Amino acid sequence: MNKENSKGKAVFKALLSKNELGAVLPLALLLIVVAFVNPNFFSTGNIFDILRTASFTFIVAIPLTFLLSSQGMDLSVGAATSLGGVICGMTLKAGVPLPLAIVLALIAGAAVGTLNGILIIKSNLPAFIATLGTQYLVNGIIAIITNNLAISNFEGNFKQLSQYKLFDQIPMPIIYAIVLGIIGQFLLTKTRFGREVLAIGGNKETAYLAGIKVNSRRMVTFIGTSVFASLAGVLIASRFASAQPAAGTGTELSIMAGVIIGGTSMFGGQGTVIGSALGAILLATITNALILMNVSTLWQNAIYGLILIVALYVDKYRRKALSGE
Amino acid sequence: MNSEYILQMKNVTKRFPGVVALRDVSISLKRGEVMAICGENGAGKSTLMKILSGSYTSKEYEGEIWIDGKVTDFSSVQVAEACGIEMVYQELNVMLDASLAENIYVGNLPMKGIVVDYKKLYSDTAVMLKRVGLELDPKQRVRGLNSGQMQMLSIARTLSKSPRIIVLDEPTSALTDKETDILMNTIDDLRREGVSFLFISHKLDEVFRIADKVVVMRDGAVVYENDVKSVTEDKLVEAMIGRTIDNMYPKQPAQIGEEVLRVEHLTVPHPSNKGQNIVEDISFSLRKGEILGIGGLVGAGRSEVLSAIFGYITRGVTKDLYLNGQKVNIRSPLDAIKHGMGYVTEERKQTGYIWVHSIRENLTLACLDKIFPRGIVDKNTEKELADQMFERLDIKAPSVETMLVNLSGGNQQKVVVGKWLLSQPTILLIDEPTKGIDVGTKAEIYKIMNELTHSGVSIIMVSSDMPELVSMSDRCLVLSNKHITGELTGSDITQENVMKAAIAS
Repeated sequence: MNKENSKGKAVFKALLSKNELGAVLPLALLLIVVAFVNPNFFSTGNIFDILRTASFTFIVAIPLTFLLSSQGMDLSVGAATSLGGVICGMTLKAGVPLPLAIVLALIAGAAVGTLNGILIIKSNLPAFIATLGTQYLVNGIIAIITNNLAISNFEGNFKQLSQYKLFDQIPMPIIYAIVLGIIGQFLLTKTRFGREVLAIGGNKETAYLAGIKVNSRRMVTFIGTSVFASLAGVLIASRFASAQPAAGTGTELSIMAGVIIGGTSMFGGQGTVIGSALGAILLATITNALILMNVSTLWQNAIYGLILIVALYVDKYRRKALSGE
Repeated sequence: MNSEYILQMKNVTKRFPGVVALRDVSISLKRGEVMAICGENGAGKSTLMKILSGSYTSKEYEGEIWIDGKVTDFSSVQVAEACGIEMVYQELNVMLDASLAENIYVGNLPMKGIVVDYKKLYSDTAVMLKRVGLELDPKQRVRGLNSGQMQMLSIARTLSKSPRIIVLDEPTSALTDKETDILMNTIDDLRREGVSFLFISHKLDEVFRIADKVVVMRDGAVVYENDVKSVTEDKLVEAMIGRTIDNMYPKQPAQIGEEVLRVEHLTVPHPSNKGQNIVEDISFSLRKGEILGIGGLVGAGRSEVLSAIFGYITRGVTKDLYLNGQKVNIRSPLDAIKHGMGYVTEERKQTGYIWVHSIRENLTLACLDKIFPRGIVDKNTEKELADQMFERLDIKAPSVETMLVNLSGGNQQKVVVGKWLLSQPTILLIDEPTKGIDVGTKAEIYKIMNELTHSGVSIIMVSSDMPELVSMSDRCLVLSNKHITGELTGSDITQENVMKAAIAS
């Protein structure tokens, strides 16, 4: 190998070692293209709109970052999102005060996560299939308890939870997402819990032999994921002033795509909450851009699917480059 | 039929990065001959098998393979099969939920048009089962058979392909004496029909019983070859271990003190053979500052002993452990670490390090208490501890932030050892301390072990590297056939004595 080539390789490797790159590059590219097509894109209103959409995704993406970096996975987050909104909505309707209604929604989420944890950690079922099972189970329960009807016409200030704008400008979900994101990033990079989760994802056996409580940590990541998903469900219900039984349906894969494209590895051991934020923003920007560029929203799923596949390739290639192959 | 030899390997050399696995190996096998291949762990036997099975294609090694006196290009697994070569591997490889018949004829089912001819399948199977002494229903599922029966089933599958050359890898390790007899008789019958065998075995009594010829391999080369009739057991043992011991083991005996650990009535189930134990009711003790070596052949249960003591395997394990005379309950690695133990496992990649994490993160993994006081990282302490160990072990890498995946095997091993040094154990379990690492790093690992014992740490070391075992151990246990078959001290720790105990039954 000649010198120049190896130098070029080294630069390329250094770039790849910045995990968040997978989201930054396409995001930048997209912004440039959209800006040319429709200058309205950069209006303050539109930017906040994108960020608000991204916030709902990101709130679920935070614990999912932990879950994926510990080599877990969860296809039931969409169902847990719907469940959170529906439980909050139904209890509110029954006259339960708002704080308690939110707590009940989060407890319902915790129950879903606990079930996932038991199936995957205690019974050793494959996460992919097990969480697909809980997804159907939870969606089924939602259909039964709601009769598949949305819950709306809330009294009181439930709406304000998501619709209030700080300084008349910044939607509250963005604030929640930023606060939770900072806590998440701190937890992942600065605490023992974060180190243990990454170690488990990097090599479960090595972590266990080093005295890490592998099962208990994994359980926390599963429960945390479902709890955050149900919180997102509550916020989405507030945003639309309506708890939809299918509010979260179909979000599980796009959120996962956001996390992976942000630089968290499907193979475990590496994760970044900041990257997940960028990933969530990228996905929200794509949806928004499609509308602004007058592309039919029917294209959206196809494009998300494509992005997920590309993200997986980037992840795989990143791994290979790191191992020097 | 223009040659008396059915198979000849001529000057075969197989290299791996940094290691020569086979060195200029030539063997010639006649029709109807049983050739035994003996050698220590790592002598090159499994590489030889992979070449004959076509798993390593002819492009990956030097040398030639001749079949029936004609040079043949072993470019794929299919070529090997077409030449009539079949393998029976040591690890059981069966479909548990398929019938016996399907297992035997998988990929080769008798057809009637486009459907399977079940009548023929079951009658053919009955013939095959009879041949290997299995009195079972061809329609029966495999699940529920014991490991000996499964091994015989694998042999039946091999026979069903009417092979001309059969390679058997430790075929009797899962068999009872009665099953072994049946296998020996089957081999005898087939030999008379002109089938040839390569019989890889540690068990010298079987070699003398069945083989015509014996080949001894050591460090990838054929070092001895003779007719079985004209060799003695002593001669074979000598050939298996007879390498020169170089001067790289600077064992410095430490002050040996009181007993620190006593293991009593340790029984560990066999990892793959259901219903059998790999070690049964063994007891031993370890003293302060001592290196207790554990020798034995692969599969004797040495690693399992360490894993069971450390609480890494617990299912079906029974044990009584006493630390400094106090009975302790160790049910997980965490318990073991709390009691001052560390465990360097044999398989670095699977259980030793995290390959996508940095040297720093790997080194501090077993002492998270120190670097996360109150749960939040103390970066300075972490950096200090990692840098200190990095220098002490002289790890060759750009910095402590280098990922493990970019290190050589020797440096990875240093990181794994360093991880346990940072947890400051009083008892260190080490499985194959220098497996797959270069000579220079080996000497450094020995130096660290000496330093540890001098500071009062006790070590249990499992090793397949004879010179290492012999020169580093203060005392040496040998495991064979579920039990401790030898306990050697001082000048009795010799390669001959270890090998004799290791093949004892």
